[in-house]
Amino acid sequence: MTEAVSGLAERFTALLGPGGVVTDPVRLATYECDGLTNHRARPALVVLPDDGAQIAEIVRACVAAGVPYVARGSGTGLSGGALPRTDGVLIVTSRLRRVLEVDVPNQRAVVEPGVINLDVSRAVRADGYYFAPDPSSQQICSVGGNVAENSGGAHCLKYGFTAHHVLSCEVVTPEGEVVELRADDPGYDLLGVFVGAEGTLGIATKVTVKLTRLPETVQTLLAAFDSIERGGTAVSAIIGAGVVPAAIEMMDALSIEAAEASVACGYPPGAGAVLIVELDGPAAEVEHQFAQIRALCEEAGAFEIRVAADDAARALIWRGRKSAFAAVGRISPAYLVQDGVIPRTALPRVLARIDALSAESGVRVANVFHAGDGNLHPLVLFDDAEPGAAERAEQVSGAILDLCIEHGGSITGEHGVGVDKARYMPRMFTATDLDTMQMVRCGFDPAGLCNPGKIYPTPRLCGEAPGVRKGVHPLVEQGKADLF
Amino acid sequence: MTAPDEPAAPAPAVPELPKLLDDCVHCGFCLPTCPTYVLWGEEMDSPRGRIHLMRQHAEGAPLGEAMVGHFDACLGCMACVTACPSGVRYDRLIEITRAEVEREHDRPLRERAIRAAVFALFPYPRRLRALRGPLRLYQRAGLDRLVRRSGLLERLSPSLAAMERLAPALGPAPRLPARVAARGGRRATVGMLTGCVQREFFPGVNAATARVLALEGCDVVIPPSQGCCGALSLHSGREDEARRFARRTIAAFEGVDAIVVNAAGCGSSMKEYGALLADEPAWAERAAALAGRTRDFAEYLAELGPRAERRPLPVSIAYHDACHLAHAQGVRAQPRALLTAVPGLELREIADPDVCCGSAGTYNLLRPEAAGELGDRKAANVRATAAELLVAANPGCSMQIATALRRRGADIAVAHTAEVLDASLRGLDPRTLLARTT
Amino acid sequence: MATARTALEKVCGDVRADAEHGLTAAPASVEEAAAVMRAAAEHGLAVLPQGAGTRAHWGPPARRRDLVLDTRRLDRLVEHAAGDLVVKAEAGLPMGRLAAALAERGQRLALDADPASTVGGTVATGAAGPLRLLYGTPRDLVIGLTLVRADGEIARSGGKVVKNVAGYDLGRLFAGSYGTLGLIVEATFRLHPRPAVSAYVTASYTDPDAAHAAVQAVLHSPVHPSAVEVAAGGGGIAVGVLAEGATDRSGAVAALLGPGASADASPPAWWGRRPGGGILIEVTGRPTDLPRLLRAAPALAWSASGHGWTALPEDADPAPLLAALRAIGGAVVRTGPARVMQGPDVWGPLPALPLMRRVKDQFDPGHRLSPGRFAGGI
Repeated sequence: MTEAVSGLAERFTALLGPGGVVTDPVRLATYECDGLTNHRARPALVVLPDDGAQIAEIVRACVAAGVPYVARGSGTGLSGGALPRTDGVLIVTSRLRRVLEVDVPNQRAVVEPGVINLDVSRAVRADGYYFAPDPSSQQICSVGGNVAENSGGAHCLKYGFTAHHVLSCEVVTPEGEVVELRADDPGYDLLGVFVGAEGTLGIATKVTVKLTRLPETVQTLLAAFDSIERGGTAVSAIIGAGVVPAAIEMMDALSIEAAEASVACGYPPGAGAVLIVELDGPAAEVEHQFAQIRALCEEAGAFEIRVAADDAARALIWRGRKSAFAAVGRISPAYLVQDGVIPRTALPRVLARIDALSAESGVRVANVFHAGDGNLHPLVLFDDAEPGAAERAEQVSGAILDLCIEHGGSITGEHGVGVDKARYMPRMFTATDLDTMQMVRCGFDPAGLCNPGKIYPTPRLCGEAPGVRKGVHPLVEQGKADLF
Repeated sequence: MTAPDEPAAPAPAVPELPKLLDDCVHCGFCLPTCPTYVLWGEEMDSPRGRIHLMRQHAEGAPLGEAMVGHFDACLGCMACVTACPSGVRYDRLIEITRAEVEREHDRPLRERAIRAAVFALFPYPRRLRALRGPLRLYQRAGLDRLVRRSGLLERLSPSLAAMERLAPALGPAPRLPARVAARGGRRATVGMLTGCVQREFFPGVNAATARVLALEGCDVVIPPSQGCCGALSLHSGREDEARRFARRTIAAFEGVDAIVVNAAGCGSSMKEYGALLADEPAWAERAAALAGRTRDFAEYLAELGPRAERRPLPVSIAYHDACHLAHAQGVRAQPRALLTAVPGLELREIADPDVCCGSAGTYNLLRPEAAGELGDRKAANVRATAAELLVAANPGCSMQIATALRRRGADIAVAHTAEVLDASLRGLDPRTLLARTT
Repeated sequence: MATARTALEKVCGDVRADAEHGLTAAPASVEEAAAVMRAAAEHGLAVLPQGAGTRAHWGPPARRRDLVLDTRRLDRLVEHAAGDLVVKAEAGLPMGRLAAALAERGQRLALDADPASTVGGTVATGAAGPLRLLYGTPRDLVIGLTLVRADGEIARSGGKVVKNVAGYDLGRLFAGSYGTLGLIVEATFRLHPRPAVSAYVTASYTDPDAAHAAVQAVLHSPVHPSAVEVAAGGGGIAVGVLAEGATDRSGAVAALLGPGASADASPPAWWGRRPGGGILIEVTGRPTDLPRLLRAAPALAWSASGHGWTALPEDADPAPLLAALRAIGGAVVRTGPARVMQGPDVWGPLPALPLMRRVKDQFDPGHRLSPGRFAGGI
């Protein structure tokens, strides 16, 4: 522990009590990674504050000491966005978990950042409302984490992302000031850029979320096709018909096999692809569109269509999809979860290319995706006991991202860039694009202490004048940064 | 629930450990169901964090105070096993770890003394019975209220205070005969485990269990030679002691179609006998066979199917899922089905059903503060149902929740599923159930 | 200025100068726009980006203006990927032309935009109409942005897929930034299908509380309205609900608005109109602030999303009304005579102003982009 950190430890113990500061190396190690385990760094110090005022004080102390800090919610992120710094402080928000206010007439709730996503919906369900962003980790991910990652979920096709459901945030800025960023306030939409900034522009200490009216009806359908291409055709037909379902999910044969092995979801045997389509809204509207979708699936060649008659049947349909990630662990010793986006019309082409990639390399790829918005989650399977297999899988996984970029898509639809994909950013954006984005960071965090090393492969020196850099970046020269 | 054919872990080298640890992908889905994470919000007091600690230990980090503290803080409720999408066997992991702690770790003197007292008392019905006399006298004299008010015990030892608070009001404890004959045509012959705490503190539950089984057409065998099943020892890493209890229990129960257990903790550990005794050639097969015949009371009745007439019982019930029933044995639907089949009975669900009440075997004796907080949370959720009667399938849970409710100044009547069914089959007035608090 | 003009003429085919506006450059491509911005930077010119000018008189006037950058020749519809419900257009494309092209494929950009305004102007002013209740404002629908920085470098953020969390979302930052951070040259939007059925259900009330109760009844019902609008002035309060989709839900909506409600396939005359008057004020608040706002403001056009407009005659003193509105929510003066627009009372409280200034300093260290046009004198 450096002198600066041990000074902070003492100060934080006075502030939070001994139960709020972790210094023991064995305990610290349990915070070395979030939901992505291939990046690990044992933090120098972990603090567990109880409220926003304490977070502000912690940040100010870190800034005064020149010590970097990282905020962490439930630690479920899949891009290493909450990866600690070995020389820094990890600020954990899991004890800030009060639902401070539910205001049904104004369709909003004020919550602390550690509140679990699903607990917001639980708190307002009796009033006929819910919190729309539903990442698949919603039973444990925190609202603060959702804000950092601009989380979506299966239903963001219709309802949008966290950015569309946050009305304001009380934020501790990277310099330790407390400021309220509100969507309504005149001036720059700093809230809009704060949401999704992966914790690099400050720490949200209170979040006012928009509540969404529970739909009158929900209808879910499962359609089985003999090939992914036919499934893709059905998706295009549905969107082309002017229907915006709440969710359209697709799974390929390999992921169906895994789900079957894990939860016996009973999907139609022999399916090369299944499509799950969910509609919600006013009853008459849903009924009309449901008939339309059914017909479109049949036209596209669905050989079996199942309709969930009740919540239990709906849960059964979703069970296979929701278990798919974990289930793949049962058909392969190890796997990488990729997250890329393509325009949905490119789906058949890109899937064929992924197939070819898989055949060429001998690396199996299972495909699970949010088909409605072209968000692919290829699961790249490998055996970690086999020498070189992990590297080959990593290569295939990277090549899939290149495919996404080539087709005008994105390297991440919902998992974020974090530390894991920073090296891919220059493939999607020019140096000037990245430099321009980092101007925002320099405005918020001139000292560069707030979650440094995330999103951008090369930090921007905040003092320098805008313009394209020529030659070697000074930080690279000093060995403080790496261009990958 | 441990499959009977799972090979047991020979100590200290545990070959299955690396694989068990590797199954965890660190997704965090276990966190919201873990009672200690719910309380403290700390990674190292979550299943994911504890598995991380286990891995550190497997990779050479010593079992220090810090590490052992977090293992001890685990209630063993197994809610995380239910929640885990990757099928991580946390139940095996914590058992292996606890045994390792018992072998390797030197506990401070005071802690050792309390643990010794708990394990010298609870698994022994006769010793518990010896305690009943003085306890009844103490309660009747009103000394209990005096002592509670003084806070004397809290100062001496929070654990002793917890034991005192949890003791239910005691009535007479009738002895059950060695055999109760089936009524109206025998459908099966079942053995019945009487348990330790159940037998001494909740004798009415055992009587009701025997009556219901008999009314449903079972010859009920209650071997007088039975003792403790070893649950408390097994769940605390005292494996040798657990094996001793297991062997004795197996010997007592061979020769019946099924062994019906009305205490969730006992049932779950008996279902693990196969793994526990897998390395003892003389016992392995017998243990696995017995484990395969062990059924929870509600599970057994659901399999058997109803025959006796259910008479109306107009009462509102909050049903509590005991962890060792819901998470360890996967028995959730059966007790609800049994209860809702009673005409007039209204079943109300308790919010956050997956989160433990804090009783957890000996936990409320060894970690009284945490157990108290969990009890308070559960009590608040139970109270919110406004039900007249709390029903649980584990004596520890009933004591724990009733005590927490009493702390909030709200008494609630408690009963075991068997007692509710008994009242219905016998056509008793619901007031007989509502009159009693623990 | 003469050397600046020469420099501009070297890189841009359309440079004009007149006594009233000074220099105007109208580049016809993104590269040309970048070259103009670079030349302006080299000569230290204060630049005012402008599209059709439909909101040029909104906000305080620029403190300095050496060059108007006219985007109207940047008017290509770059790509309409109908199957992906995405469109990319250059900044100078009129919204009316964009809408017509989208309508051919049964789609729309759900912003109720002024057909005469441009893509760039719509984004830069954050302009939105009644559909904001369901679809939000430009910040919610821009998924990709190309901009030219103050130093003339071209930068992009976002992309052409709806779901994308790679890097900061400069689209949201630039939406409503009034040309003070950079020049918007292209924008990519998320689109929506045009509904088969649109029903406008309207009813009139005299009591603010009754109107509010009607609005609340609709908001908390499952009818899923696209817009809920309130228009008050001259004594009556009109409430209008737009229900769109595949089926007609006007019956269910009318039942919520009470007796006297009527439905029509086209909007009432007042739909999406701002109250008239020389001083136009943008109002924000919570949905439940509606009765208080109705009592405080002489005329009000209100969206149940929590946003609205009120107005005063040009010679009025807006201070008392602004104070009353700011006691409830927010109020920003959008247009007014110079004495008002150059006064201190245009914006109201700006708690995040120091942060905004720091962001501005990064993007435009020389304070040459639309100086003085924005919140806090930015």
